[in-house]
Amino acid sequence: MAAPGNPNVTKLFERRLTPADSPLAVAGTTALAVCVAMGIAAIFFHHYGASPVQAYFGLFHEPFGTLHGFGYALVRAAPLALVALGTIVSWRSGFYYLGFEGCFVIGAAAVGWMSLATPRGPHLGPLFLPLAILLSLTVGGLWAGLVAFVRVRLGGNEVLISLMSNYVARFFLQYLVSGPLRAPGSLPETSVLPHDTWLPFLVPGTRGHAGILIAVAAALLVWALLQKLPLGYELIVTGFNPAAARYAGIEVGRRMMLAGFFAGGLGALAGMVEVLGSQHRLMDGISGNMGFVGIIVALLSRLNPLATVPIALVYGGMSVGADAMQRRAAIPSSITFLLESLAILLVLASDIFRFYRLNFTFLTRFKWRVSPGEDSA
Amino acid sequence: MNGSTLMVSAFFAAWLSASLRLAGPVLVAALGETFAEQSGILNLGIEGTILLGALASFLTSYRTGMIWTSLLVATLVGVAFSLFLAWMYISVRASQVITGLIFNVFALGLATTLYRLVLGNVAAPESIAVFQPLRVPLFGRIPIVGPVIFGQTAPFYLTLALAVVAQLVLYRTSFGLALRATGENPAAADSAGISVHRMRYLGTLLSGAGAGMAGGYLVLAQVGLFRETIVAGQGFIALGIVIFGRWNPLKAALAALVFGGCDALQLSLQIIGTKAPPQLWLALPYVVTILGISGLFGNRAVPPAALMKPYVKA
Repeated sequence: MAAPGNPNVTKLFERRLTPADSPLAVAGTTALAVCVAMGIAAIFFHHYGASPVQAYFGLFHEPFGTLHGFGYALVRAAPLALVALGTIVSWRSGFYYLGFEGCFVIGAAAVGWMSLATPRGPHLGPLFLPLAILLSLTVGGLWAGLVAFVRVRLGGNEVLISLMSNYVARFFLQYLVSGPLRAPGSLPETSVLPHDTWLPFLVPGTRGHAGILIAVAAALLVWALLQKLPLGYELIVTGFNPAAARYAGIEVGRRMMLAGFFAGGLGALAGMVEVLGSQHRLMDGISGNMGFVGIIVALLSRLNPLATVPIALVYGGMSVGADAMQRRAAIPSSITFLLESLAILLVLASDIFRFYRLNFTFLTRFKWRVSPGEDSA
Repeated sequence: MNGSTLMVSAFFAAWLSASLRLAGPVLVAALGETFAEQSGILNLGIEGTILLGALASFLTSYRTGMIWTSLLVATLVGVAFSLFLAWMYISVRASQVITGLIFNVFALGLATTLYRLVLGNVAAPESIAVFQPLRVPLFGRIPIVGPVIFGQTAPFYLTLALAVVAQLVLYRTSFGLALRATGENPAAADSAGISVHRMRYLGTLLSGAGAGMAGGYLVLAQVGLFRETIVAGQGFIALGIVIFGRWNPLKAALAALVFGGCDALQLSLQIIGTKAPPQLWLALPYVVTILGISGLFGNRAVPPAALMKPYVKA
């Protein structure tokens, strides 16, 4: 029998020297983490008298089982995917930008203003969307590029500065909708944007609009930038090892500012898609936390641009399902925030299990230790 | 004294009083965060921890009416959640920025859900027992300064005391030295017999305690009710104040005062009525904090060398 202190002693959990990183181990621990998160959320569902199976069925049936719900899922997915793409560009370049709420708001505000301010006429029709895209890319790019400039030239902390810039952007939008752009009426919001500036609806009878196509195109462009172009390679080297990048002649500071510019542009594009495709007017709180949920989508995509659109669709779908549950069963939709964030926290935490090996011999030994005792008795 | 000087002095008294009042919660949170960052952990999760502390203190005060107990419960809730954060940061060695950020989303979801769960049927926001401003007998009657300095609520004086204690602990005790050593050079601290993990766990738990207490302070001495939007980035501002104060508790107190002053300006200016839009003043504290940590002013902020670097024992 193994004595205490004996190196051959078997433990149930045995520490590995290197983590198990086979696809099976990664998938297994990830699935386990998601299951635990769903279990914890099930406690809340249970409180509202919904059986967890029903609740989870409801969460996915509405967005993926009905055409109407799927249209809404597309509406939610497009801005999330764009924010996720912005996250990927900036984080892979070593610029930990967290100001997507702000970019979203700035982009929405700029495009909303443009839509309200441009004189109507048939000549503008096809030109409006390209101009709106250009405008949102520019304002968002400058908004985030300023933070990148502060980081690169002055050494400020981009994580905190970008977090606080979100509030500045939000107050700016509050000012716009309660002051210069306010429509007559009791609520602080603009009037509805002119119809000819809306994004076209894709499927008749649903709310699904062309924003998802913009997201797909952006995903392909970001993928091409990072995987196929020399510039993208330089961005990734900058993020991976700035010292090596500098030694190789890459201008690290400039690359980082460029990454900030791209990221902000994508965040603002998300705002544009939301205001032209879904809300059709400006109001306070238009971002609805999408600037943060988009970051979660990027992380779940493991910073892979091509994975952002499908994962954003799952996430957007879940929020549609949650809203449906809130309408029907009065279960607060904030439970999905809880479920989604808990799932990713536990997925992050599950990495620790890959450092351990479950020792089945421990279990067999335990049985073996019991049986000789029975024999001698 | 003619009318206009009376007006000016009343304005200043109101502004100063509000500055101190608003500086309190962010300072408590910043004091706790100072310990975490000095040990090498950037705890971005204090924003969410403040929210959970606020909810805990609101519910406790709503149910029991005992304000000091509510403040204590908020602090303990902060410690409990930061234990999870500490495990993520230190044992799992997950990215501190990502973990903290997502924890904030989690806290928002949890607080909103729990609030609806407990008070689901209550329509109007309930009034709860809150801290009242103290009335110090003699000093309180000094014109202008008296009510400002001696007329704050009890948690404010507790916070000031904590700032002094934090300064002494960090710079005058062996624990403080060990904590700072862990944040500067964990390998050296380790070889000197300091447990890096223990120090970092303690630092993170202290930041959780500060954040939880800040949430309680916010509810029990300022707002008197609970909303999901009650924190509104004050946790991030506390993080900015830690940098602004160069990781030093007393300097953080000064930085918090600057923030409180900006925040109070918006209240006072609304009273006397200005033409500028209120959102300009609302954004001011955030802009000032951004400028404060941007590196535009003063010497470059040098954080603890091992900040955000996980430690693996060789």
